[in-house]
Amino acid sequence: MSEPLLSIRGLRAKVDGEDGEILRGVDLDVQRGEVHALMGPNGSGKSTLAKVIAGHPAYEVTAGEILFEGEDVLELEPDERSRAGIFLAFQYPAEIPGVSIANFLRTAVNSRLGEGEEMDVFGFQRTLTEKMEMLRMDPGFAARYVNDGFSGGEKKRNEILQMAVLRPALGVLDETDSGLDIDALKVVASGVNRLSEADEALGVLLITHYKRILNYIRPDRVHVMMAGRIAESGGASLADKLEAEGYDWLHRAVAAV
Amino acid sequence: MSTMTAGPAESTLAAADFDTLAGALTEPEALAGARAAAWERFTALPWPTKKSEEWRYTDLGKVGFEALTPVVPTPATAEALSADVREVLGRSGERAGVVVLREGRVAHLELEPEVARSGVVLSSIRDAADRHPEVLRRALLEAQPGPAEEKLWALHLALLGGGYFLYVPRGVEMPAPIHAFHIVERAGTLSSAHSFVYAESGARAAVIDEFLSDDLDAETVSLHGATITGEGDAGIEYVALQRFGRGVKRFSTQHVTAGRDARVVTFNVALGGDLSRADVTSRLDGPGSDSEMLALWFGDSDQHFDHHTLQHHAAPHAHSDLLFKGALTDAGSSVFRGLIRVDKGAQLTDAYQTNRNLLLSEGSHASALPNLEIEADDVRCSHGATIGQVEDGQLFYLMSRGLTRRQAERLLVFGFFDEVLGRLPMEGVRARVREAIEEKIGL
Repeated sequence: MSEPLLSIRGLRAKVDGEDGEILRGVDLDVQRGEVHALMGPNGSGKSTLAKVIAGHPAYEVTAGEILFEGEDVLELEPDERSRAGIFLAFQYPAEIPGVSIANFLRTAVNSRLGEGEEMDVFGFQRTLTEKMEMLRMDPGFAARYVNDGFSGGEKKRNEILQMAVLRPALGVLDETDSGLDIDALKVVASGVNRLSEADEALGVLLITHYKRILNYIRPDRVHVMMAGRIAESGGASLADKLEAEGYDWLHRAVAAV
Repeated sequence: MSTMTAGPAESTLAAADFDTLAGALTEPEALAGARAAAWERFTALPWPTKKSEEWRYTDLGKVGFEALTPVVPTPATAEALSADVREVLGRSGERAGVVVLREGRVAHLELEPEVARSGVVLSSIRDAADRHPEVLRRALLEAQPGPAEEKLWALHLALLGGGYFLYVPRGVEMPAPIHAFHIVERAGTLSSAHSFVYAESGARAAVIDEFLSDDLDAETVSLHGATITGEGDAGIEYVALQRFGRGVKRFSTQHVTAGRDARVVTFNVALGGDLSRADVTSRLDGPGSDSEMLALWFGDSDQHFDHHTLQHHAAPHAHSDLLFKGALTDAGSSVFRGLIRVDKGAQLTDAYQTNRNLLLSEGSHASALPNLEIEADDVRCSHGATIGQVEDGQLFYLMSRGLTRRQAERLLVFGFFDEVLGRLPMEGVRARVREAIEEKIGL
């Protein structure tokens, strides 16, 4: 088997300047082309893991490693990780008043290209329009300020739009399903599915609190996070069991260890 | 008919014999008289020091005026334009006319024939002094700034190399702006130019003053003044886009008068030079008048930008709104000092003043001093200032999309500036200013 797209080993992390680890020894492999769902109760460390993978400066990694395509990314700045192919769809995307989505994304695309190879405005506009159509977004969306005054659904859709334009090797989707009504959820899920179809090597780590989105995005693997560690891993059926039985049986199992 | 002089005589300011300088000119009395009086005042007045509140943060003592070579006023002559200047002209967008000034002297002036046919006049100040001496005299008197600026103002008038006069008659709406290029090419010079904009009642005028030079290897000073007058119900949009190269120190004194129901927008953009100071006064002279005062600056290296403003409400029911935003990096520094003054009779005044500063580096420094002076008792006034840094959450979000820290910061500066840019009414003017800012900030 080839090296995993993402390989996390013994990862421990805490909020910078505070005591108390939030991640307490995470082990996780994601192969190219696979969709992994990461579930678990509130406060188990799912979102922290997402932010640590993306290089959020508020967290300090105290032990372990994150290998992306075989390379240690812990020393890389967030922008270097992004250009290497890691994408984080934020649970709470920042609002950037005064900066249009088109301007922002063109800058992001050009940051990946060498000097003198920047995409021209029209070429970029074509790509953007195409991706927006795929996500059933109004063409006027591109001129709006990034996330400024967006509804919850618009913000999440905007995250997937960025993923579609930036074409990462790994998409980490942090509770992209939360706060969406069923129609918005279907649009977002079908967007992710289309990205997977378009790029067979795309790896997805789908962090979610609910099983609902897994009715639309079929995971290859399901992991359950408890108290800062992966407590259980299995196939898609694990999500069904969690849906039916909740997390209590896992709490008991973890406590028994 | 005026006599042409052979070429600019030169001397340093310290040794300048004003009579010799002015004697070389054959000027209309409106100009010659103002010039002689200004020189007398200049020699009588002391330089303001850092002890005065208005000059506390900008040390005029560090400007070597004595060593500069004054560019002596000469009559307006059409000159061959250098390739560089031609290139700049070619870049500018839609316009109703062009003025090119070199070290303050008018080198080129043209007005679209169609616009000229509508009655709009665009001429050098010298020609205006011949034809409309009274208008000019009044405009110069009106623009007289406060005591702290008087020394520089006197020097500006005494050495006035030229400038332009734009006159828009009653009810005429200009379809596009006049674009004036103030170009400084010679290092070590002291030069001066003035912009007159006069809109009669119901007229619409738009002007961009763009200030340009290369990086110059010796201290160079550019003085500028603007007198902008809107009669009843006139609309004026005035932009001063300062893009000097390093080495240049620039002082601009701008005076706006808004008559009954007139609406004037001024927009100062400071990007270049070593030191750039603008004193902007808006006098709300008629009931229902409206003044919007806008400014943006981006300072890097050790650039210093200084903006002083006065919103002077002399009439009731008037509205003024000031929004100045600056961003600084490296060891850049800036000062904002603004005053809203409401006269006793100016009831039902609506006046606002906001200055926001964004610091991108530890070495940068901004001072903000908003102030109110209200003598009427039925007014709505507010003022506020903030000095802050970019938000970590925004920075991380942008970086997580691949933007370097520098790119992310610069994009956030664009976002910060957008609110002010969006307030410029004419799209063409907005595009020009945006382009200049993009060039300075870089992405």
